[in-house]
Amino acid sequence: MITQVSSSLYQQLVGSFEDPLFAKEILESRRKEAFEKFKDTGFPTAKAEEWRFTNIQPVLNQDYQLGAHLPGQAVNVDAANIEGVDAYRVVLVNGFYRHDLSDTIEEQGIVLSSFADAAQLEAFNKHFAQYADKAENPFVWLNTALANNGFFIEIQAGKIAQKPIHIVHISVADSQTFFQTRNLIVLDKNAEAQIIETFVTEDGSSKTFGNTVTEIVVDENAKLEHYYLQQARSQSSFNNHTEIIQRKYSLYNNYNCTFPGASFVRNTINVRMDDPNIESHLYGITLLSDNQLVDNHTVVDHMKPFGESYEWYKNILQDSSTAVFNGKIFVRLDAQKTNAFQQNNNMLLSANATINTKPQLEIFADDVKCSHGCTIGQFNEDAKFYLQSRGIGEEQARTLLVHAFAFDVTERFKNETIRNHVDHLVELGLKHN
Amino acid sequence: MSSEKQLLEELTTEEYKYGFTTNIEMDIAPKGLTEDTIRFISAKKNEPEWLLEWRLKAYRYFITMPIPTWQNFKHPDVDFQDMSYYAAPKEKPKYDSLDEVDPELLETFKKLGIPLDEQKILSGVVAVDAVFDSVSVKTTFQKKLKEQGVIFSSFGEAVQNHPELVKKYLGTVVPSTDNIYAALNAAVFSDGSFVYIPKGVRCPMELSTYFRINAENTGQFERTLIIADDRSYVSYLEGCTAPMRDENQMHAAVVELIAMEDAEIKYSTVQNWYPGDKDGNGGIFNFVTKRGICKGDRSKISWTQVETGSAITWKYPGVILKGDSSVGEFYSVALTRNHQVADTGTKMMHIGKNTRSRIISKGISAGVSHNSYRGLVKISKGADGARNYTQCDSMLIGDKCGAHTFPYIESKNESAMLEHEATTSKIGEDQVFYLNQRGIDSEQAVGLIVNGYAKEVLNQLPMEFAVEAQKLLAISLEGSVG
Repeated sequence: MITQVSSSLYQQLVGSFEDPLFAKEILESRRKEAFEKFKDTGFPTAKAEEWRFTNIQPVLNQDYQLGAHLPGQAVNVDAANIEGVDAYRVVLVNGFYRHDLSDTIEEQGIVLSSFADAAQLEAFNKHFAQYADKAENPFVWLNTALANNGFFIEIQAGKIAQKPIHIVHISVADSQTFFQTRNLIVLDKNAEAQIIETFVTEDGSSKTFGNTVTEIVVDENAKLEHYYLQQARSQSSFNNHTEIIQRKYSLYNNYNCTFPGASFVRNTINVRMDDPNIESHLYGITLLSDNQLVDNHTVVDHMKPFGESYEWYKNILQDSSTAVFNGKIFVRLDAQKTNAFQQNNNMLLSANATINTKPQLEIFADDVKCSHGCTIGQFNEDAKFYLQSRGIGEEQARTLLVHAFAFDVTERFKNETIRNHVDHLVELGLKHN
Repeated sequence: MSSEKQLLEELTTEEYKYGFTTNIEMDIAPKGLTEDTIRFISAKKNEPEWLLEWRLKAYRYFITMPIPTWQNFKHPDVDFQDMSYYAAPKEKPKYDSLDEVDPELLETFKKLGIPLDEQKILSGVVAVDAVFDSVSVKTTFQKKLKEQGVIFSSFGEAVQNHPELVKKYLGTVVPSTDNIYAALNAAVFSDGSFVYIPKGVRCPMELSTYFRINAENTGQFERTLIIADDRSYVSYLEGCTAPMRDENQMHAAVVELIAMEDAEIKYSTVQNWYPGDKDGNGGIFNFVTKRGICKGDRSKISWTQVETGSAITWKYPGVILKGDSSVGEFYSVALTRNHQVADTGTKMMHIGKNTRSRIISKGISAGVSHNSYRGLVKISKGADGARNYTQCDSMLIGDKCGAHTFPYIESKNESAMLEHEATTSKIGEDQVFYLNQRGIDSEQAVGLIVNGYAKEVLNQLPMEFAVEAQKLLAISLEGSVG
């Protein structure tokens, strides 16, 4: 093996901050502030509480080249197809919005543009780097400082999107690449939309590490159904931060699904309920194999009264995979009459799998109903035996039981086609000995 | 609403019953912590060389350690040089009979409801080791226990009489390098209790230690070591109180439990240190390291705690489940009010096969207090068939308090089964209403509901303590209506 002498990723990144990216001073100042913060803190180590179970150093200590805009290069995004879904497709290659590969949306009231073009828009100025940067995550600061591509979607007031928007993130690289994506989704008052994001890897791609930040604003009485389907291959690693800010009477549903493949995935999903009468649901299915390390960190932050949140994450672990779940529910002093529920169930199917879970409640208001539950277990041998005694083969029995385990979560998927797709992916992802 | 407010007011002004001081001539070490302080304590206790060395090693480690920052409260500024590490009543070095004990001291313990006069106690219910500031005053029923081979004495006596046992087990469960306060305790610990239950003996009575802080500007650093040999059983209780003072006082204890094959240790605490006044001035910092190890197969360690006192309670009694089929239990009720803080919970480390643990934690917060449950359940790779059940409930009384849970659950074994549940709520208005309807006033209703809520834990306490704990809860809760 040839050992390359190259500067560390941190050095490379810090060195790459130069040119003004935006024409507007206000955006520039947000960038600069984030850059200074990142420079001070650097990448998190396992000593930081938020990264206690997830050692990111092996992912960072690789020789990466920065960014990889491949304009015009043909890529095959078939891996992201969802059978039976009629949606607008938007393709991002290594985080770069590719107009030529994406559908144009002709519906009135939906604005779709690349990160660069969006900088001119009022909504972008208003919301960019206003929420995620407060979350004390160095990766967000890094992203704010240096990301220069991604997508922007605005669903304008009163607009109900007719078709789901399917965003395909594909990683393609000839040599090891680090890239950053910055997205902003804004739903104005009374707007409704369905957004599906799929992560895939092109065959034969080199190793990639993507640092993505998505800020989502769900304004008064707006509704967003948001699906994450993580289907990338083992060459790909991800650190995805999603920050959601909700206004009164709004609804945000997140369905976070991870399947065998990507070797490292860290999802941070923070829902800030900064108005009364907000409802949010977070669902997760994580099915892992081989040496995957998948870490789901969620925050549901009840800041005002009459909020309702419901969170349910299920992990199924095979081989030597590791899953981390950290669910935090905050109920602030003001947030009386809050109803918060959280559950995390885990199934270990192999002797080498590891689960670290930390369901956390921090409550500062008294008139609330909050509960969380967490279980770790395995196949119920009796149930398997019952099925086998009725002539169902072992393999099929296992599949059935895993389906049953996942059912609590999958049955809540609003979009039936996606539910079937996820069921199918669960079946494909299950290994049979 | 107004009566509710009034009642809440009462709750926050409820006086601390054990706040008196005892005027007695004391032998107090000068303030400050240096190697000389440790040599002074060691010389006072007439300790062997190896123990002094062990203390000094711990001290050298202690001075290199930073104050932790991970806890869910702001660590108070503690000036380790501004307190005294040794305070003992000035008297004869040892009390052979009760007549020699200073009557003032006897009076103190009598006032606290802890009789030290064996004749006056109903025949053989509880044997008590009474610790006053830094030293043990009197251990009752020692002779009777000796007949069965049970050693129950102050730590100082044990060092003199059974150095081989102390040397063998001291620091094996909580090493002096475990954390900053364990290191501090190892360096300066002054007394405490020592228990050894020989093979096959079921300890004929409850053993108990009563801790009393009296002197000003001192810290109490005691150490308890309990060894239950094969097939033995012991139930041990501790209680504690302190006078009301404006400044904070430090209590940093270490408790080590060792259970051999088929042995069982039941350790109960009713902690009622002075909690500070209603504005959060004064009170005890209760920073304690408690840990037990189930060394032998089928052994069992059970922690029960009722925490109502202290300005800050910070402890995580844990069990290392090393022996196959060993059992660890943790039952806790923590009640905080005014400006009190409790950051407590447990650690269950499953190492042996078919090990089981059960955690029941009930937090009640009132006033502007904060109550946190922080727990770790760890299943290591070899712990086949491990089983854990955790339930941690929080109850909030008043709208300015906080309840927090930080459970860490880590499993590396596919055959392990773990369950964790937690709920947070306020006292049910309908429950209070139901009781009101039946002629029970709101105050009593709340007491009933809270006692019912904490019952699962209180039931684990030995009878005499359960009664005391129930009363304690009721007093602490007087006038709290949700």
